[in-house]
Amino acid sequence: MAERSDPLLVEHLEPLDGLRLVRQAPPPGAGSFSATYVGPAGWAYDPPGAGGTARLVSQLVTSAAGPYDRVELARRLDRLGAVLNRRAAPESAEVTVWGPAESWVPLLEILSWVVRRPRFEPDDVRRGLRQLAEHQLREATQPGHRAERELLHRIFPAEHPYRETGSGSRASLRALTRRRLVRFHEEHFTADGGLLVVTVPARAEVVRREARRLFRSFPGSRAPGAPQLPRARAPGGRATIDLPGRSQVEVRLGGPSIARSDPAFPAAFLANELLGGRPLLNRLFQRVRERGGLAYHASSDLEAMRWGGYWVALAGTGADRWRKVVPMLDGELRRLRAERVGPAELRTVRESAIGEIPLSLESTAEAHELAVDAGYHQLAADHWRRWPQTLREVRPEAVRDAARRAFAEDGSVAVVVGPLKAGTSGPGSSATA
Amino acid sequence: MPRPATREFTLRNGLRVVLAPRPESPTASVWVWYRVGSVNEHPGITGASHWVEHMLFEGSPKYGKGEIDRAVVRVGGELNAFTDVDFTAYFTTVPREHLAIPLDIEADRMTRALITDPEVARERTVIFSEREGNENWPEFRVEEELFQLAFREHPYRWDALGRREDIAQMSAGQLREYYHRFYGTRNAILVVAGGFAPGDVAGRISSAFGRLPAGGEPIEVAAVEPAQRGERRSELSGPGTTPYLQVGFRSPALQQEETPATIVLDTILGGETRLFSSGSGMGRSGEHPSSRLYRGLVDPGLAVHATCDWRPRRYPGLFTIQAQAAPGVRLDRLEEALLRLLERLAREGPTPREVAESRIKIRRSALLAYEGASRTGFRLGYFSVLRSLGLEDEIFSALLRVTPREVRERARALFREEGRLVVRYRPTGEVSDG
Repeated sequence: MAERSDPLLVEHLEPLDGLRLVRQAPPPGAGSFSATYVGPAGWAYDPPGAGGTARLVSQLVTSAAGPYDRVELARRLDRLGAVLNRRAAPESAEVTVWGPAESWVPLLEILSWVVRRPRFEPDDVRRGLRQLAEHQLREATQPGHRAERELLHRIFPAEHPYRETGSGSRASLRALTRRRLVRFHEEHFTADGGLLVVTVPARAEVVRREARRLFRSFPGSRAPGAPQLPRARAPGGRATIDLPGRSQVEVRLGGPSIARSDPAFPAAFLANELLGGRPLLNRLFQRVRERGGLAYHASSDLEAMRWGGYWVALAGTGADRWRKVVPMLDGELRRLRAERVGPAELRTVRESAIGEIPLSLESTAEAHELAVDAGYHQLAADHWRRWPQTLREVRPEAVRDAARRAFAEDGSVAVVVGPLKAGTSGPGSSATA
Repeated sequence: MPRPATREFTLRNGLRVVLAPRPESPTASVWVWYRVGSVNEHPGITGASHWVEHMLFEGSPKYGKGEIDRAVVRVGGELNAFTDVDFTAYFTTVPREHLAIPLDIEADRMTRALITDPEVARERTVIFSEREGNENWPEFRVEEELFQLAFREHPYRWDALGRREDIAQMSAGQLREYYHRFYGTRNAILVVAGGFAPGDVAGRISSAFGRLPAGGEPIEVAAVEPAQRGERRSELSGPGTTPYLQVGFRSPALQQEETPATIVLDTILGGETRLFSSGSGMGRSGEHPSSRLYRGLVDPGLAVHATCDWRPRRYPGLFTIQAQAAPGVRLDRLEEALLRLLERLAREGPTPREVAESRIKIRRSALLAYEGASRTGFRLGYFSVLRSLGLEDEIFSALLRVTPREVRERARALFREEGRLVVRYRPTGEVSDG
């Protein structure tokens, strides 16, 4: 039992009608509870011409469900001191409930209602459509959002599941009817292919009994298959989009990358940490901000998912500075691919990543993220406990080799969005009455 | 309140120390709160507090440039800082066995940061870049305008990031002078939370901080904002999405007796109070369909988002309400609906059910407010720097006694036309789907 109180050690319990079940102990002293359902309901599954479906469905399931209308659901959560969150991504959609551990059973019941029996009330659908339309406008006009969207459009070809941000278009929103949303929910919030992760101070058999009681009937049965990945080449290249009147230019360099299941992932993870992932120590931050004084933020991300992934190096800078920043980012990427990392630098970054693990156990919500990751990617029960050793076994040559694949130059793109001409930036006009 | 047991003491040089040991915690979190923020600045050096905050990561005789970051991050720790109008806070959370590292860093940079000319020159563009990132959001521009509109005398007039013109011309000498004036043991509070033995840590603190000279001035701001005698309005335009609106009203300072009713009013209008919010982080956790603003503006399709904000301040500040128009909705219509909603709340007051639900929300949310060493350090320091460790309990108890009538009186006093501030943002240009 002592082993099972370690939050770094998750338990994969016997599935319930195809619903995979993961249990994790909360960190010592934590008083809260988290549970997440992950379903094959990402925007990769948006029906043709109906972009925005997955994002809207994931929002609406947390609006009203089962016996609760929208206001009653909010009041019930308030009375329990709990919160519902949701997140949609290309491959999946997640719904998480968080609240006091003493109320974990009623909270798990609420999660079961919202996942299995959302109401999709017409007023909620209309409101969600308005909010999604506003979000689309933001993606078009906000330099950071716009840069992200343009980057994905250039990295991935048409029909690729990672090409979109899930918001759809003005035209696609017109195609989203309540009936289509209900059908999408039935086909994608399923037991089969779904995952339930519970971080709770209760024994596995108790968790499984409650999960069986609460999650026994889903409206749909079989999980959808993974979408076909198109073989066409992506547009690639470089894009500069002038948005006069904004203050900051957003720079993105990116390209396709490896899946999380790739054996090179630990080495690629460390390559990203070196490049721009490890806070403050990383090369991009040191070069662009600390030595160059050219930007407030400069970093990189490696999005390694089930079907593939992409990398991105990013910075936000001024209209008079972006031309210096782009070659800096590019130069650091070339260095990462070409040079073997020195043992001292690798050791520093690696030990930092390992030393961070206790910080992931400060609260139930943070520890829970590790369990969701382990559950979604079907990692070994002791994956997080072994993670330090896994990283220590990565050799410097392996980091460089992984960088050549996971941050490949082939297929890479550059996107610059914002007030590109110096002198066109700055706040808009103002008039005081 | 589940506030953890604490041990408090003051060193002979005036440094206040709060220890919150949590034996089971795998981490330890060190927070240093200085009673200096943009409220202590004046035109010409606006943004100095924030710039000094950046410079405290840039080196001292003991820690060369970059060594503070490296010392913490290489053991897996995280560190950062933030500057508010009323205070500046530095925090470092590390695996518990490395607690000595942040204690040594904080003792060193409390009085010995170098703030050299070349580093100030290099950091100037970083500060500009941070400001520009904020300016990309219409919401930031509108809020900055709202506070400029509200305050003509009081230093709450400018944002903690400072004015562009001052960032462009402020010198390293001015920053050093500012630092030496406000930083020091008498103007700081040290909070340590997490996994440690209090006796050991108290000794280590006495050794690291006790040798520092007494210094740092706790300075009260003398400027008092004159009463507002009529509605003030402003209109901004620029790139953006849909029209956006902020309405503000002058609100009481933290220590004023109206504060508890103001917090309940904020909760009823916006769905929860930041001081006792639900969720795994600090701040509002999302949409609140049962709130007045949501029901009055989002439900009928006038706005896509609507919320309000009241933060505890050392001096009278603003109660603000924000609404993002739904596509196709004109600002006039949105503003009219918002003002009607406020007027009705002031006239009729909240229902007993609304007040009772607010109490439940506040009580339940407070239960998990101290999970983790970092959050514990934040909350203990936050209330301490605003006034005292016991402030949280006082507010909490008072909140649970607030009546519907008190909330109505508060709404009447706040939402007066002659004290109203309105800033509207009109996006320019057509948006393409790209």
